[in-house]
Amino acid sequence: MITLEKASKTVSQVANDANSSPARTAVSLPEEPLIKIRAHRRWAAANLLDLWVHRELLYFLIWRELKARYKQTLLGISWVILQPLLMTIVFTVVLGKLVGVRTGVTPYPLFLYAGLLPWIFFSNAVSNGSQSLVAGSQMITKVYFPRIIIPAAAVGVRLSDFLVASVVLIGLMKYYGIPLGWPLLLAPLLVIHVTLLALALSAWLSALNVRYRDTGTALPVVLQLWMFASPIVYSAELVPARWQWLYELNPMTGIVEGFRSALLGLPFNRSSLIASVVITLALLIGSTFVFGRMEDEFADIV
Amino acid sequence: MKPIVSVRNVSKLYHVGRPLGLRPSLREALTSFVTRQNGHSSDETLWALKDISFEAQPGEVIGIIGRNGAGKSTLLRILARITKPSNGEIDIYGRLGTLLEIGTGFHPDLTGRENIFLNGTILGMKVREIRRKFDEIVAFSEVERFLETPVKHYSSGMYLRLAFSIAAHFEPDVLLLDEVVAVGDISFQKKCFDKMQAVSREGKTIFLVSHNLNSIQSLCTRVFLVRSGRLCEGENPKQVISSYVNDQLPAAGGLNKNIN
Repeated sequence: MITLEKASKTVSQVANDANSSPARTAVSLPEEPLIKIRAHRRWAAANLLDLWVHRELLYFLIWRELKARYKQTLLGISWVILQPLLMTIVFTVVLGKLVGVRTGVTPYPLFLYAGLLPWIFFSNAVSNGSQSLVAGSQMITKVYFPRIIIPAAAVGVRLSDFLVASVVLIGLMKYYGIPLGWPLLLAPLLVIHVTLLALALSAWLSALNVRYRDTGTALPVVLQLWMFASPIVYSAELVPARWQWLYELNPMTGIVEGFRSALLGLPFNRSSLIASVVITLALLIGSTFVFGRMEDEFADIV
Repeated sequence: MKPIVSVRNVSKLYHVGRPLGLRPSLREALTSFVTRQNGHSSDETLWALKDISFEAQPGEVIGIIGRNGAGKSTLLRILARITKPSNGEIDIYGRLGTLLEIGTGFHPDLTGRENIFLNGTILGMKVREIRRKFDEIVAFSEVERFLETPVKHYSSGMYLRLAFSIAAHFEPDVLLLDEVVAVGDISFQKKCFDKMQAVSREGKTIFLVSHNLNSIQSLCTRVFLVRSGRLCEGENPKQVISSYVNDQLPAAGGLNKNIN
């Protein structure tokens, strides 16, 4: 992105049109155009670096959602903690006490919370992200900025929820006497990993949702099924050995297992982590192309 | 002399009959995919703009007039990068500011102060820049007393003044305006006019789409008439405006006299 500062350094030219008044000041125009508008290209990738260039806008869009969300609520930020906490309680009672799911040395409530936390982040980020472009149609049709910022902001809002709810996790770990070890340093990497996965799917699905509104209808069902296809409420070890390879192709398997291992000091499952990284990167690259190809016409069809 | 905006052979094609443009379901898209494979489609096209070329110099105030649906807004939206042209190229040698709507991205629950930062960054300002101009923006908008009030409690006039004030202080090199100055009371309209004239004296270029021929006549140094997607430019603004009026109302000599 070329900034104005750069522009002002270039050759100075004086404006004098037909109607010029004596007070007219000198204008310096840059050698190269700051903005080049070209016809729609079939193969264009959205530029993820735009997220950095326009980070202030990204920040304000996230801040707007958070600020507005808490302005007229009674319990405010505690909702963010209540969702994983209530789900943990329900699953502990139903699956832990009634069904009797075994999770080895880890206490079941802690096992659950450590899995639900990244899952709820991922699931909320993808469902909000996929609706974000349609929800932001007012902006899309009135002003230009790189559209990828809109789904990214939706993911960012949920990321901040995740960080708040993580505080409870630390409390739970203390309560159950889990020692804080070196593997904990891997947790931030896994948070970045799940954020990128959520961003890739949000960008992809939000672009799709502009065209096909049934994307938004189908997604909750898919996410619900996806949760039970991931090791959230049960351990991945329960999956039969001959299906493990398929199970590990689910990128959330590697993330949730990895997150749990990092926090609770359990052994890592390398193959599922590697599969997850590869699939996440592939989805990320694919989504920039899908998004880039479709973003030119968002304003026309949204 | 080098132009600040250079538009070369820009066209915009819209698919009117294609179900894809009309919020379809996946099923419709699949069925239309099949029909297209058979070599048939319900695709009807419309050239909203056809082969538009022009150059704009720094300091020009360019009015764009034309009937509803002639393509004025499409031209503005393409210049604003909201939608892409189907053909052609545009180069802009400067920073671009767009005000197609008052208060884009305003959140009703946020205060005036918060919305200044939000709307400013959406329009393309840096936070540093907004901080520097904050007092000026507030003073111009005359809402000092209500800075900490959520904008949903603002009167429409206050809302408008704040939104225009933010956009006016963006100081882009090229400013695109869509019918926004036609709102507000007379004293505020006067203020907007003065601001726009001041901006153009600084060598900024303004594009103004409006149906208010009086304001076009008094503000603009050049006028484009868009007629079914094509651009017509006469010798001077007066002549373009009167040819448009004569076009529209062959018998309405009275109105013609009015604006002259």
